[in-house]
Amino acid sequence: MSPITHSLGHPLVRLTAIAAIGALALTGCAADGGAVAAPAPAAETSAAVIDNCGTLVTAASPSPLPSPERIVTIKSTSTEMLLALGLADRIVGSAFQDGPVPSEWAEIAEQIPVISDFAPGQEAVLSLEPDFVYAGWESMLTAEAAGDRESLAGLGVETYVAPSACKDPGYQPEKLGFDDVFADITEAGAVFGAEEAASELIAEQSDALDSIAADTRGLSALWYSSGTDTPYVGAGIGAPQMIMERLGLGNIAADVNDTWSPLGWEAIIDADPDVIVLVDASWNTAGSKIDSLEQNPVTAQMSAVRASRYLVIPFAAGEAGVRNVSATADLADQLASINVE
Amino acid sequence: MRAATAPRVAIWTLLLTLALATSIATAVTIGPADIGFDEVWASIASHLGLGATPLSPLRDGIVWELRLPRVLTAAAVGAGLAIAGAVMQAITRNSLADPYPLGLSSGASLGAVAVLVLGVAVLLPVAAFLGALLALAATLLIAGAGGSLTPSRTILAGIAVSSLGAALTSFVIFWTATGDSYREILSWLLGSLAGSSWSTVLIAGGGILIIGVPLMLGGRMLDAFAFGDTSAAALGVNVTSTRWLMLVGTALLTGGMVSVSGSIGFVGLVLPHAVRLIVGARHRALLPLAALTGAIFLIWCDTAARALFDPRELPVGIVTAFIGAPVFVLLLVRSRRLT
Amino acid sequence: MTGSAEAGGAECAMTTRSLSVVLGGRRVVDSVDSRFGSGQVTAILGPNGAGKSSLIRVLAGVDRPDSGEVAWQGRDWFASGRRDRARVAALVEQDAGAELPLTVRMAVELGRTPHGSFLAGHSHGDARIVAAAMIDAGVADFADRQISTLSGGERQRVHLARALAQHPRLLLLDEPTNHLDVHAQLSTLTLVRNLAARDGLAVVAALHDLNLAVGFADNVIVLDAGRLVAAGPPAAVLTPALISRVWRVSATVLSHPVTGAPVIAFDLPERTHS
Repeated sequence: MSPITHSLGHPLVRLTAIAAIGALALTGCAADGGAVAAPAPAAETSAAVIDNCGTLVTAASPSPLPSPERIVTIKSTSTEMLLALGLADRIVGSAFQDGPVPSEWAEIAEQIPVISDFAPGQEAVLSLEPDFVYAGWESMLTAEAAGDRESLAGLGVETYVAPSACKDPGYQPEKLGFDDVFADITEAGAVFGAEEAASELIAEQSDALDSIAADTRGLSALWYSSGTDTPYVGAGIGAPQMIMERLGLGNIAADVNDTWSPLGWEAIIDADPDVIVLVDASWNTAGSKIDSLEQNPVTAQMSAVRASRYLVIPFAAGEAGVRNVSATADLADQLASINVE
Repeated sequence: MRAATAPRVAIWTLLLTLALATSIATAVTIGPADIGFDEVWASIASHLGLGATPLSPLRDGIVWELRLPRVLTAAAVGAGLAIAGAVMQAITRNSLADPYPLGLSSGASLGAVAVLVLGVAVLLPVAAFLGALLALAATLLIAGAGGSLTPSRTILAGIAVSSLGAALTSFVIFWTATGDSYREILSWLLGSLAGSSWSTVLIAGGGILIIGVPLMLGGRMLDAFAFGDTSAAALGVNVTSTRWLMLVGTALLTGGMVSVSGSIGFVGLVLPHAVRLIVGARHRALLPLAALTGAIFLIWCDTAARALFDPRELPVGIVTAFIGAPVFVLLLVRSRRLT
Repeated sequence: MTGSAEAGGAECAMTTRSLSVVLGGRRVVDSVDSRFGSGQVTAILGPNGAGKSSLIRVLAGVDRPDSGEVAWQGRDWFASGRRDRARVAALVEQDAGAELPLTVRMAVELGRTPHGSFLAGHSHGDARIVAAAMIDAGVADFADRQISTLSGGERQRVHLARALAQHPRLLLLDEPTNHLDVHAQLSTLTLVRNLAARDGLAVVAALHDLNLAVGFADNVIVLDAGRLVAAGPPAAVLTPALISRVWRVSATVLSHPVTGAPVIAFDLPERTHS
């Protein structure tokens, strides 16, 4: 028996599995905030052409080109953006959604065909004969998922990534703010030919945002997304930080220069946050996180756990998109009813 | 390599035992929470019935429920993997062997994935151990089918089961992993001690006592395999049953370790080599010293994993690979100079 | 033509009767009767595939026969346990080259395995026996060297030392001289012959080289396709007729000009009359 065949036993196992995970990791980046008017490689050749994470996209207005009529959306943030802009009838299919849409759009959303609950394949997308693919994660526009941006363009299908989800330096913002979120809405309005709806939406959301009263108690908080042995938490430069700042909460992971990050339990317990924001997803519910917090002998000692000081936010609302403002308002209400002695 | 005389081995044993005790004592005081050395030990002492803890319940919990079990688990897992690796290398006469024979590691991964991704409501260590046992059973079944159950057939069957297990694991992940659940799986596949608790100390420590110690005592029989099966038989060793016992013992020991920490690499592959260079291939010395070295090594790798990028944490498997790979190269270079 | 000659008045340490070994459906040893005496060197000869190694392995107690009897000092060899057998019989195989880092001393110490208990370490008695074995085999000078640094001949002697450390009454050698140079071949066989004489060991060696058998063996056993075709003192057994029949070569037996001992010279093919 050759030494080589035996030594391939374990390392090959590990390499195969890790390659699989690695590939999946690439398809699963968390959304971050993005500055549309990105500093370095912005190629603004004309008002109608936008540099979207390195690919040029022609905006529907102002331009003689017709607006996209057959749009495929991937991830909740893109679907919800189009629903908010009143463009539901132009969506021919959606994929990889993160949860149910807000109730106000529930009926309309029912009509939208679901291509896949997970990352869609190229053929499945193309069989709907779209003229546009709007993705919430950059990794959805690769050959392993809906298709490479260039090859889709070659087939006459334009593509657009939520600018907040761009990963390359120069496109990813230093720190996500609500103006970035609103700028994304403006740009989406331009791309999809719904500029009026966009400005109305922004006006609405700005008002709503202004009327949110920040908590003045100087409380600290943990944004707990997933993970039991090593928690995955909202860190310093993404949507969680943006929302918590607006709420007047001090993120215990604010110093970590990332959108989301794994954090050791020891650091969390040492900081002993006053409040814990729980992300609620179908694959990892807020309830299950509460259970594991309460069952672990040391996290059960945390003041937030003993007093059950939890805020809950649905997963889709935790990424940069049209739900951030309403989610912030909802969290503010939840926070107001929490007592901290 | 100098001859390993009995006094030399005794000295090394003493040194390494002291080093282990010191490592445990020190590693427990390192971490993101700023707790002083004396406070840590006062807290531990209070749990052993000596005096009261100077720390708040939360910080006391950090020491007693997080750090101490984690350091002890790291020691037990490191020792177990080193013993398993050394035994596997002896019975397969292959110095590239690692402690994950017979498809165990991929079976355990499948069990872990079932819990983490498919949401099967079983404790992760239990699922991982069951997965490992299923893989072992599958390996033995395949190896025995249509022929006699020889060790080489078994190991080849183990490779097949490993590959199948890896494929299934990858498939399940690709097919069903949503959101950020892939992170937990990645962490588990790389090997992580972040989930340590007093139960894992029990499992890993129990594994060492129940299986590791008997394996170590069988060192003399392992030596007999040095020149092959015929020599071993001519020396009066029951080759077949010894091999089986060692194989199954290693599989169970490794299964226990993997269920607690995922498949941490390089410890079982590299440390036996390093210790062999210092004290030679006599297993009565090699196994205990490898165990001690493994324990110390993993304690410090894990301390680095959880404290280097404070407050972030790395899975310990990344650190063992980073350190293990260059050490392995060094050993290869050194050993070439000897032959 | 079968035969079982007397073992020249020496004590018969090991005997076999109708011994057969079946491997992969083939009878590799076919109903062999043989005797091996203490204090004597017996060579087992035969072409490749004749069954020499298989016979040696049975004598060593490593493999069990499929039929027939093997007796050591009159008692059933396989009735004793393996450790007991290992205290009596030691096997020296061809050097395979171990990859593990072992010193000569460690390798020789392995020979004490059947004598110690499962848990015990090495005793002082063990150390003395190991030292004596190394001296006898001529490897004491490099006791602390890595075996991987030794030459083929030196390594073969280390294996011999290990066998001697077993303190055997029966020493079995499976083609121990194949890859050695002439000096090493002669010195190894001289060594085992002296040990047979000095300690009364029964030495059994499977050999290829007929002249070595003539030079060192007291008795020879010739196997052909598993069957015993001749047994007895080498000079009497190894006739040109037998050599031609078993090895299918033409040979002439000469007389050594100095010692008078028989020397077998093979006729090279071109020179044979048709």
